[in-house]
Parts: sequence; structure tokens; C-alpha cells
Amino acid sequence: MSGLGQTVVGVIVGAAIGAGVFYKITESKALNNTAPVAVQAPTPESTSSGDTEELGAEISLGSVGNHWTAEEPIDNGAGPVTAEMLNSGTSSNAQWLHYGGDYRGFRHSPMKSINPESVKNLKVAWGFPTGTTGQFEVSPVVHDGVMFMTSSYNRLFALDAANGSLLWRYDHQQPKNLRLCCGPANRGVAITGDLVLMGTLDARLIAFDRRTGEIRWDTEVASYIEGFSLTSAPLIVGDLAITGIAGGEYGTRGFFDAYNVNTGERVWRHYTVPDEGEPGVETWAGDSYKRGGAPAWTTGAYDAETDTLFWTTGNPSPDWNGSERAGDNLYSNSLLALDPKTGERKWHFQFTPHDVWDYDGNTHIFLVDVEIDGEPVKAVAQANRNGYFYLIERTTGKFLRANPYVEQVNWATIDSDGRPIVDATKKPTDEPTERVCPSNMGGINGAWTGAYNPSLGLVYVGAVEACQHYQSGISGFVKGMPYLGGMPVPIDVTAEKDFGHMTAIDAATGEIKWRYLDRNPMMAGALSTAGGVVFTGNQEGFALALDAETGNLLWNFRMGGVVRSQPIAYELKGESYVAIGSGGWANMALLTGGPTNIPDGGHLFVFKVPQ
Amino acid sequence: MGRLLRLLLLVIVAIALFACDKDAQQSPAAIYENDPAAVKRGKLVFAGTCGAYCHKLDKGQGGFPYLFDCAWQHGGSDEEIFKTIRDGVPDTQMVGFGGALPDGDEDIWKIIAYIRETDQCGEN
Repeated sequence: MSGLGQTVVGVIVGAAIGAGVFYKITESKALNNTAPVAVQAPTPESTSSGDTEELGAEISLGSVGNHWTAEEPIDNGAGPVTAEMLNSGTSSNAQWLHYGGDYRGFRHSPMKSINPESVKNLKVAWGFPTGTTGQFEVSPVVHDGVMFMTSSYNRLFALDAANGSLLWRYDHQQPKNLRLCCGPANRGVAITGDLVLMGTLDARLIAFDRRTGEIRWDTEVASYIEGFSLTSAPLIVGDLAITGIAGGEYGTRGFFDAYNVNTGERVWRHYTVPDEGEPGVETWAGDSYKRGGAPAWTTGAYDAETDTLFWTTGNPSPDWNGSERAGDNLYSNSLLALDPKTGERKWHFQFTPHDVWDYDGNTHIFLVDVEIDGEPVKAVAQANRNGYFYLIERTTGKFLRANPYVEQVNWATIDSDGRPIVDATKKPTDEPTERVCPSNMGGINGAWTGAYNPSLGLVYVGAVEACQHYQSGISGFVKGMPYLGGMPVPIDVTAEKDFGHMTAIDAATGEIKWRYLDRNPMMAGALSTAGGVVFTGNQEGFALALDAETGNLLWNFRMGGVVRSQPIAYELKGESYVAIGSGGWANMALLTGGPTNIPDGGHLFVFKVPQ
Repeated sequence: MGRLLRLLLLVIVAIALFACDKDAQQSPAAIYENDPAAVKRGKLVFAGTCGAYCHKLDKGQGGFPYLFDCAWQHGGSDEEIFKTIRDGVPDTQMVGFGGALPDGDEDIWKIIAYIRETDQCGEN
């Protein structure tokens, strides 16, 4: 089988088918230099700290040095990244500055040069390996002709965006005893001024000089040994870098922080679980709030018009046994609107109160302007992990609508206030027999993005069709130890009944416009272009380009590795590029669905429209 | 008669002592294996700590370590498995659960009993 799917227009009814050591680059790397980069023989000057040891056997990346800086500062004339640039998002074709493309999370390029006609001629321009295993989930950032690409295990590469020449590189040295529930992912950097910022698996936030790769500051966000980690790209708002932590499988108390980009000092912290005496603590039985989870492990969005920050939260802990945390468990699985200067909450909307399925509320959000009943509405749209596509009024948090966007949703219906009416038979038990949908991977998962084409009013998401048995269990809380309370039993994956699709959803109505079907769950991010193309990838290793209006397959290229990355587009010297990473994490496939026999190994492919 | 009786008694005592010694050598897991409630507790603790996220539930190729095929990487005796669960495995993501489970060591032995009761030793 080719692994390439088919497009279905309209709604499908029913179940479907199947720190440390510095080396100098010897030559100044002018960006038009196409020659391979030579690197001096390493002469390590170890600055390893006591608790930063060499990588363990499972994550060994070799024993060479870990930091190669550029000899001459890179300067192609664009200058530092300004607030204006960040506000303009993707409106300049030459840049891709945010994880979400722009502050609103559209991941939509204004480039019309990448259209249904031209995309058929896409050719590989260059590629670059990461040298790491584990899921390669990056959304690269491009500025001043330089691409900043991260990999699993926190390698950071500065590459000539035109030809892939290596400009500088940093390999973060991880402790042996990382606490990772779900693999060694990193999804990218944030950029501002002359700084590039990366969060690390050992819960640090590090700022690099974008021109040289030298470290400007390095701040510990949390203690990784307690189960905290950073996997997402930070978001820059003004002089603040905002980043949230993962750790919902370890009974951590979730939070997201704002750091002064100039100093690395923390400006505020917003805990996602209230403390004693704070509003919402009454939604936790006993002292369960103390280990309540609600991690903030994805990137938020920002509404410049109202100066409002939007961040989302994940599951309460423990995941699959809610018996000791009776109540709604605020502010887990929620959309939060905040003042970015203070971190104070303006309002919240909780998608899945008292979650016992791991239906994190932190999938990709889009700040959309839509028309409902002839009236303009400013909204937040989200294809939630719980299988429903939500529209929430952006200034008040009022629920507008929720529609299922995957074929199989049976855990609950949603009432007129947006509260789930849960089917009690679908809750985890110690002897589960009910087939419950979606699976804990969700219809979509926060590990990958969607995209939004504002001209068409369509949201595009890669989706998972799978159901599970939810097994409740017993766990005790000890800091730094897994605290799950049960487990998902992947009955559909075992029976090979799982599949996936890229789905186009009308943001205003929630109606399904088209689906592109794939025999595996589709777990890669999305990119939209004004030319009318949607890019994504599948687990059989294909980069895919679909027609934005119909979902018809326009182009594909076998990159080889399972695609779990977030595609981007940019333009340099009048030429149009699309970048997509290839490389999955086979360990998780028996739980999530997908090939287990395709080797790990990240590799970025950059395609170009020939002139 | 008397001599024969004494001999018989000696044999009975010897067998009883051997049996007692054998029981004494049995691990708590082996004893729990015959206790359905203990086996179920082991299953629930396994599920609640790090079941599917750390150990795959299906024997298929690839993925996290599978615990039910008797292909032990760090020793397959009850005592060796107990040590692996209690102390973890250095340089891997297998953390040590010593002191982390609600009923302490008892829960570790019950997990082992659950694995023994569920395993597919000898099955290909």
C-alpha cells in the first residue's frame, strides 16, 4: 500500500475504514556560501555542573563536544527581531517567527506562490539531520535568512535557510534521570531581539545570541527530578518569554511562567491549580489539589488588540482515577485568558471537568474572527483532545458551540453551556469492557498543531480515530514518580482498527468541509498557504500537500521517517520554501497507533518551488 | 512394629520439614500468586503506576519493554524482579519504586504475582 489516503468531501457518518564546551567554526559562514561547514577539532573545556552528567545509555548522543558557536556574528541585514515583526506574524514572507506562525496561531503563510499548481513542482532544496532519536516535533523559526531548528533531546541548530549550511549548534547535556512521560520531544524556539530561547527537558529556559549561538542566560524553571520538563516553544509578548511546563503524569502542580527576556529573571508564575484559600480550590476533594497536575505543556496565543494572553491546561492528576479528587478540578483542561503583564486571570473556560480520560485541554488554539447569524464574533477555536471542536467567545469566555470533529466520540455529549454530559458507563473501571472514544491520544493532541486559512474560514487538523478501554488502577503519590491512577488499553491499535485523517472544519459552524483519510493516525502539524495549499505528513513517512478547498492530494514526497513535525513556509530572494521534519518515536506507536518498524532519526527536509 | 512406626514417623517428619523449608524459600510473590485478591491488587498497582506508558500491553514488535513473555533483561527470579522494581535500572527510564507504592514492598510482590499469573512463558 502506498500509505496515501483519499479525500472525502462532506461529513462521513459512522465508523470508518480501517552547557558547557565551546568550539569555533573555522570559517565565517556567509549565508551565500554553499560549501560544507568545517568544524575545528574539538578541544573541550568542560563546564559541566555536578548534577549534569553525561547522557545515559538510552539517550546517548555521542561523546563529542556540545556547543559550536559562530566565529563571526551572523548578519544579513534584517537586524534584531522587533515587536513590530512579532506582531506582523507571517505577513512578511521572509519570516516565520512564532510557533503558531503568528500570535493568533493561524500557521497560515500569505505566500500565494505556493498554490495547487506550483506545489506539484516542489523539489528538495536541502536537508539536515538531527542525529537524535525520539519524535522530531519541531516548528522551525526563520529570521534574517537563518533557520533555528530544535530536535528531540534539545539540540539547537542555526542553519542557512537557503542551503542548510550549519552556522552554530548547541547540544544540551541532559541528566541521566530525566522524568519524561512521553518521549524526548522539543517543538521549537522563540525569538526576540537578538535572542533565541529554548526550553529543555530538564526544565531550564536558555537564551542564545541568535548571531553567534553563545548563551546569554540560563534559568532553572523547575526541578526536573520532581517530574517537570519543558517541551514547547516559548511565546514572546513584549519583554516577556512565556513558557509552561509538562508533568501531569507525575502529580506536579502545573504552572506557566513569564521571564524577562533581557535578564532571564522570572516576572510572574501562574499556577494552574489553586492553593489553599484560592478560588477554585473547592473543586478538589481534600488535599488533592496539592498534586493536581493541570500542566501547561503547549504554546499559547496572544490577542494584541485586547492585550490578552491565552494559555491552556492539561489533565488533572492522577490521570485515570478521579476517586480522590472529586469535583471539577479547576483549572485543569481549561482555556485561560490572562493579563500578560501580570499573569492574572481574566476568565476561564473548562472543557473537560473532572477528567478521567487524559483529555488534556491544551491542543492548538486559533484566535479567529467569524460571523455567526450575521454578526461578527471574536472567538477562540480549538479542536479539543476530547473529540469536540469548540468555539469560545474571546473577550468573555462564553461558550458558543461544540461539534464533534472525529467520527468516534462517545464519552459525553455537550450541553448548551458547554458542559459535558458524561456517559457514566464510559468512565475507567478496574475491569473495563466499554469501548470509549476518543482514545487518550485524543482526536488531536497538543504535540502537534493545526492551521487556519482565514480566507476560507477553515481550520485544518490532523486527527486520530481510535478508541480504548480505560483501566483504573492504584497509585500513591511520591514526588518524581509516575502518578497515573490507571492506564489506557489500546484495543483499536491492537486490532488495527485505528486510522487517521486531516480534516477541514468550518470555524464558524463546526461543520466538516472535507477529510483526507489515512490508514494511520495523522499526528503531524499543519501549514496553510494563501495560495490554497495545506501541508502535513503521515506516519508512513510522506510529506503531503492537500488542496485547501477540497482536500485532494496535490503532492507527496517520501521523507522516510514518521512525520510528527510542524511544517512552515518562508521566502528568500524571491524563492519559496517549505520545511518539514521527518522522524518519529516508535516506542509509543503500540499505544498511539502507527508503524513500529520505521526507525527513529530526525531529518529536516526543505522543499523549494523551482523558478 | 515399634521400629517400623518410628521409621515411618521419621519419614513423615522429614517430609514435613522439607515442605516447611520449601515454603520458607517461596517468595511472597509465589504465595500471592494463589491469592486472586492479591493478584488483582498487583494488576491495579501496575496499571496505576506506569502500565501502558512504560510497558507495552501487547507483545508486538518494538516499543516499551513487555513484561509478560518471560524474556527478562535484568534477572527473572522473583527476587531479581523485586530488586528491579524497587531500585530501578540505572541509565534507563526505569525508576526505582521503593517506598513509592501505597503498601510498600507488599505491592511490589503483588505486581510480580500479577505478572507471573498473566505471563505467557513458553508461548511464541
